[in-house]
Amino acid sequence: MKKIYIKEEYCIACRLCEIYCQVKHSKSKKILKAFKNETDILSRVLVEEIGYNSFAIQCRHCEDAPCVEACISGAMQKNKNTGTVTCDEKKCVGCWMCIMACPYGVIKRDLSEKKVASKCDLCGDEEFPVCVRNCPNEALKFEDV
Amino acid sequence: MENKSKLYEGKNNIFDYIIIGNSAAGLSAASSIRTIDKNGSIVVLTNENYLNYSKPLITYYLAGRIKLKDIYFKNEDFYKENNILLKKDTNILKIDYANKQVITDKNTGFAYRKLLLANGGIPIIPKIRVSESSDSPSINSERFKEHAENNADVNKNKSIPGSLDNSNFKNFTGIFTFTCLKDAEKVKDYITKNNITEAAVLGGGLIGLKSAEALLELGIKVKIIELSDRILSASFDKQASSIIENELENKGNRIYTQNTINQIFVKNGSLESFQLKSGEIIKSRLLIVAVGVIPDLSIAENSNNNIKKNEPGYLKLNRGILVDEHMQTSIKDVFAAGDVAESFNFVTGDKSNIAIWPLAVRQGDIAGANMAGGNKIYDGGYFMNSVEILNIPTISIGITNAPDDMEGNIEIMKDYKPEKRYYRKIVIHNNKIIGIILVENIDRAGIYNGLIRNKIDISNIKDNLVKEDFGIIQLPSDYKKHLVVGDGIEV
Repeated sequence: MKKIYIKEEYCIACRLCEIYCQVKHSKSKKILKAFKNETDILSRVLVEEIGYNSFAIQCRHCEDAPCVEACISGAMQKNKNTGTVTCDEKKCVGCWMCIMACPYGVIKRDLSEKKVASKCDLCGDEEFPVCVRNCPNEALKFEDV
Repeated sequence: MENKSKLYEGKNNIFDYIIIGNSAAGLSAASSIRTIDKNGSIVVLTNENYLNYSKPLITYYLAGRIKLKDIYFKNEDFYKENNILLKKDTNILKIDYANKQVITDKNTGFAYRKLLLANGGIPIIPKIRVSESSDSPSINSERFKEHAENNADVNKNKSIPGSLDNSNFKNFTGIFTFTCLKDAEKVKDYITKNNITEAAVLGGGLIGLKSAEALLELGIKVKIIELSDRILSASFDKQASSIIENELENKGNRIYTQNTINQIFVKNGSLESFQLKSGEIIKSRLLIVAVGVIPDLSIAENSNNNIKKNEPGYLKLNRGILVDEHMQTSIKDVFAAGDVAESFNFVTGDKSNIAIWPLAVRQGDIAGANMAGGNKIYDGGYFMNSVEILNIPTISIGITNAPDDMEGNIEIMKDYKPEKRYYRKIVIHNNKIIGIILVENIDRAGIYNGLIRNKIDISNIKDNLVKEDFGIIQLPSDYKKHLVVGDGIEV
């Protein structure tokens, strides 16, 4: 499977990854509409920044994923073929066990409609995740494991 | 095997794997076995009659947040794809370890090569005196004060039907436990049919609070009766508890701490009221008894009958079934996992029974792998839970109240803002985090969990630990590198 690799040394905390992630996971998929009208869209990639140090991090799609182990509803699943860990938002009950379990702290609470866990889905329908594609500095790379 | 009883059906049909229990640990074990052994026969035995269901979801079901059809966590395809035979409504009487047979209450037997005991826990029913309410309570009555002081003396009241206990509590209408789906269905049905708007919950622990949460969502006002000085006393401290307690009371609920129920009054077997230790009499038509859960040792104890403790056929028990790091019990080829097991506690270093979903899944996975000939080691677990009450999310992990007699250097960091219902507490032992409590902002709780599990020395980042924006970037550089760059690329 392919994974997103973090190149911390190239990250300039421009947060374009967050912006494109939000647009990708908006209803309209349009940057202006998304930001003007859908104000509660969460970015599934998270930029952490202190001074000149920064990096963007999202779900690592772990081999033995603690979030899958902790999930009480069966919503969080690791796909056997692709290795992608995704949350079935229909099944998710928003118990936040996955948030408790994830050592990367990259699962968020989506409270916009029904409470659900929100996390990186590797933009399953795209060739490259949008955070990777739109990083101006190749601080995120999508490569085979 | 030649001495096998004729009664047993499974005689010529030995299952490679028998799993008792169709929940988190049992099904996790089944899929773990299947990843190693593609062909061995697997049978899952359960005394319930559902496809399967997630126990923690019964609260969500009662609250009406999910439908019955959404309560299972593995669908029907799971059993087909993994070629697992599910036998519902199967009550196990005991196990004949010498002949490797599981014996049901219908005296049929299933023979096994490897056995997993994953039959979970059962609720504790405290002994409480029950009286017919022909002597209907009046708050000023001298007689009831006397009862409160002297409730062990049954002879004082002649019309007492007896005491509430494990065997009879189901005979009373309006008194329920709340640990399985059948309980939730009964409570839901009872609430609808009787138009319940007020209820009482005995026990302010996790199950008590979770059931209270569901009742609140149904618009029912709740009275919580808790023996200790605060709710969620096992995983919370005073400050965390007070945030939840205040919110509950502000919404019109009541919490009675350092209190318990001394006597229950029924009329024609239906709950009418009960009297607290403090003397107060509370009218209620619904009482949920949620004082705790213990490992279900009925099968294990039955099987140990007539076997001496030192004999090889004796299954070693403590509070739960004792297991080693392979999740194997004291008897070869017999494994245990989940709420029924007692296994290594990563934080305290002792063996303990920690009845939580993630550990049941992990233990099942490890047991299954070892049953199928693999070699997986359980390196221990610790308590953790995520509970949201009245829209206040909380997460508590590990040791949140360091015992006074704990050796070594204990440091506690706190950020408490009751007006914002916000709390963050970090418990540090010899420069390593051993426990946390988060209330309101739980968003990156798992990062602390990683620090606990990996026993990371946090002496250089102490100032940042309790900050609300604490993240990976503040972590010690080696551990941060491990998380950000990943295992494969590290030198």
